[in-house]
Amino acid sequence: MMTMTHMESTVRYDNGYEDEYMLQEDEWDRDMLLDPAWEQQQRKTFTAWCNSHLRKAGTQIENIEDDLRNGLKLMLLLEVISGERLSKPDRGKMRFHKIANVNKALDFITSKGVKLVSIGAEEIVDGNVKMTLGMIWTIILRFAIQDISVEETSAKEGLLLWCQRKTAPYRNVNVQNFHVSWKDGLAFCALIHRHRPDLLDYSKLSKDDPLGNLNLAFDIAEKHLDIPKMLDAEDIINTPKPDERAIMTYVSCFYHAFAGAEQAETAANRICKVLGVNQENEKLMEEYERLASQLLEWIRRTTPWLENRTPEKTMAEMQRKLEDFRDYRRQHKPPKVQEKCQLEINFNTLQTKLRISNRPAFMPSEGKLVSDIAAAWQGLEHAEKGYEDWLLTEIRRLERLDHLAEKFRQKATNHENWASGKEMLLSLKDYETATLTQIKAMLRKHEAFESDLAAHQDRVEQIAAIAQELNELDYHDVAAVNQRCQSICDLWDRLGTLTQKRREALERTDKLLETIDQLFLEFAKRSAPFNNWMEGAMEDLQDMFMVHTVDEVQSLIAAHEQFKATLPEADAERQAILGIHNEVQKISQSYGIKANIINPYSAITTDELLVKWDKVKKLVPQRDSAMQEELAHQHAHERLRRQFAAQANLIGPWIQARMEEIGRCSLEIGGTLEDQMTQLKQCEHVIVAYKPNVDKLEGDHQLIQESLVFDNKHTNYTMEHIRVGWELLLTTVARTINEIETQILTRDAKGISQQQMNEFRSSFNHFDRKKNGAMETDDFRACLISMGYDLGEVEFARIMILVDPNGTGIVSFQSFIDFMTRETADTDTAEQVVASFRILAGDKPYILVEELRRELPPEQAEYCIMRMPPYRIPGAPPGALDYTAFSTALYGESDL
Amino acid sequence: ESKVHQLISFYSGMYIAQLQGGAPWGFTLQGGLEHGEPLIISKVEEGGKADALECPLQAGDEIRIINGINLTGYRQEAIALVKGSYKTLQITVRR
Repeated sequence: MMTMTHMESTVRYDNGYEDEYMLQEDEWDRDMLLDPAWEQQQRKTFTAWCNSHLRKAGTQIENIEDDLRNGLKLMLLLEVISGERLSKPDRGKMRFHKIANVNKALDFITSKGVKLVSIGAEEIVDGNVKMTLGMIWTIILRFAIQDISVEETSAKEGLLLWCQRKTAPYRNVNVQNFHVSWKDGLAFCALIHRHRPDLLDYSKLSKDDPLGNLNLAFDIAEKHLDIPKMLDAEDIINTPKPDERAIMTYVSCFYHAFAGAEQAETAANRICKVLGVNQENEKLMEEYERLASQLLEWIRRTTPWLENRTPEKTMAEMQRKLEDFRDYRRQHKPPKVQEKCQLEINFNTLQTKLRISNRPAFMPSEGKLVSDIAAAWQGLEHAEKGYEDWLLTEIRRLERLDHLAEKFRQKATNHENWASGKEMLLSLKDYETATLTQIKAMLRKHEAFESDLAAHQDRVEQIAAIAQELNELDYHDVAAVNQRCQSICDLWDRLGTLTQKRREALERTDKLLETIDQLFLEFAKRSAPFNNWMEGAMEDLQDMFMVHTVDEVQSLIAAHEQFKATLPEADAERQAILGIHNEVQKISQSYGIKANIINPYSAITTDELLVKWDKVKKLVPQRDSAMQEELAHQHAHERLRRQFAAQANLIGPWIQARMEEIGRCSLEIGGTLEDQMTQLKQCEHVIVAYKPNVDKLEGDHQLIQESLVFDNKHTNYTMEHIRVGWELLLTTVARTINEIETQILTRDAKGISQQQMNEFRSSFNHFDRKKNGAMETDDFRACLISMGYDLGEVEFARIMILVDPNGTGIVSFQSFIDFMTRETADTDTAEQVVASFRILAGDKPYILVEELRRELPPEQAEYCIMRMPPYRIPGAPPGALDYTAFSTALYGESDL
Repeated sequence: ESKVHQLISFYSGMYIAQLQGGAPWGFTLQGGLEHGEPLIISKVEEGGKADALECPLQAGDEIRIINGINLTGYRQEAIALVKGSYKTLQITVRR
């Protein structure tokens, strides 16, 4: 039988199985002519296999085709290998009982999903070997091989794979099939050695001893592995291709033996693993519990510390606490956080592990539940927060306290500095010796101080407020603060009182000093004028009077009487003034003003006033007598005056009369100039004769002068008047005489007739508006105009120069005559004179001395010779005289 | 320079005349302190040197200074001073 078909690969429970089995059946059908060798092998092997199972039921089979024919052992076999109970077998011996039992067995097999085609109960009952072997093979296949699963390969392939895997390490073993690969027996040995190296020494085996190998394997299997011998070594060696099924059957036993052992091992491992896991878990649980305890313990320890609220006194201490807390947070807590975290992780891990390994969840012991820990942790954190808050609050509080305390100290110090010395200052009695100005200054200063005090009120209140706050905030050194605050407040009260007292004292003193000041002012106001009055009075009373009349004296006397009348009033004033002074004295004494009270408004003392008053009183009668004396004096003077006056009143008019006489005389038109002359001369005589009268008057005047009398109301004539008048009279008469003389001369020289003279006189008199023997400029002009000379300004001015060369502003009668005669007469101009001389000179521009002497009277000739300047023109003989220059010079002109 | 002088003096009421050439100068003097009168030019000869000036002398001019010498007022003095000049005569007059 060449065609030894392989069992096809994967035996699946369901689908492919039918086909395969069909294939098997076909094969089996074809192999109806089973190789006798194989039949033999199969018989041996299958029997051995059945027996390996039946022994558990306490029975065996000898002959596979016979012993199974009644079906009972078959059913038993099935029960053993399946572990299930079949239906009760029929206990009959009849054929149909056997068939029935076999059918039960077959039904059972069928019920396990095996399609039994062309295996009938009858054949089995009849003892058909092939059929039986086939059936057993089916059973073996189904119950020993089908369920093999190795790496997802099952049944035959799986078994093969298993063999391959297990024998892989053995290089001299190559399992490819279930027949020839097994012939050298090494495969079996390898399988054994693989699982139980203690059972054989593989290294000693060799291919060359297949028999030895096989037998060794079979022996060991039987002895140690509880696998009965199912194969014959010689059969295998001798058969070129051993029976596959027999090999498979035997190898499957190995599988079940080792796999079982493996399963056991796996089970043991699983158990170990489980136990290990369990142990591990338990360790974890313990660990958890331990850590949890630790942590909780730590929390339990730490929490009270965090809940401690005992405050420290100083900020430094609190800061230290804070530092400790910070350390805790920085150094101590993180590891604990880590621990907690770890705990949680552990717990979770543990739970997960437990869940994965199907273990019940870990329930920590009471108080160590996650929730407990979380709660405790929360509590811790809460305590922490609370602690931190508390620390910060405390620190702030202490900070504030420190700050406040410092503030208090500063303010208190400032205040104390300000207040120091104030008490003493306020207690000064400096106002007792102060002047009004000083008091006022003190008052102002005090006012300023009061403002300052008021301003400080605020500060004191602040200080008290701070102290209060320090008390409320429970400052550790609050006692000292309170003490200081108290002393400040006490001092403050005292200052207030003292301030008030001082104010009162100052004001009182001020009032008094004011009053005194007013009195002083009054004193000054009244004493000054009074003093002046007295001074004036003294002056007046001692006044050197110059009186010139009796009336004056009498008025002085009257004034003096008037003055005397005012004395009582003055005296009253004096007393009043003194009264003021006394008042001042009284006030300062009664109010104990110790200051040196002097009157700032007046330097006048009462003594001064008294002295002056006495003096005045003394002077009055002195004056009286002086007055009287003077009166007498004046009377005497008066007499002198009258005397003088009488005389002067005679002389004055007499002089006036004479003047008028002269005036009239000179103005007269009737009569000759000689007559006028005579008259005037007579007048002159009279005047001269009168002189003694004037002398006498001089005498009287002298007396008056000596008496220092300078006025005389009895006469309008002063001595000066008389003198001047007298002189004037004298001069007038002389001048008038002179004038007449001149007029006579002029008349004679110019050949003016008396009539002309009278005409001139008349004109002159007419225009002499003021009738004082002289014409003024306007008069003269009017005169000229009346004569028909309408002159322009320039010409008139020229004429005025001629007529009034000295610029006196008046034209005398003489000047008038001169002018008039010049006008009316042929004027001898310079030119005319020159012409005259020329004739004398024989038409030469010069004249000679002998010619002058020849032509002119000696006197005139000599005059000319003396006066004529030489004629200095080249060509002129020496001794030539310039008559032109001379003439113009004569006439007031010089040609140059 | 003399022009400036002239102008200044003209405006101040005084006028300086510079005559050249020597006598006769062509003007007539009148008055004098001898007669109690101011010293006046009474006549200026037409075409004479005094008349030929750019600003001629005029009748009525009062002579105050001759050749830089302030006059006392006497005519004899003035005459002497004029006759004393040779070829140039400087007269300051008040007009």
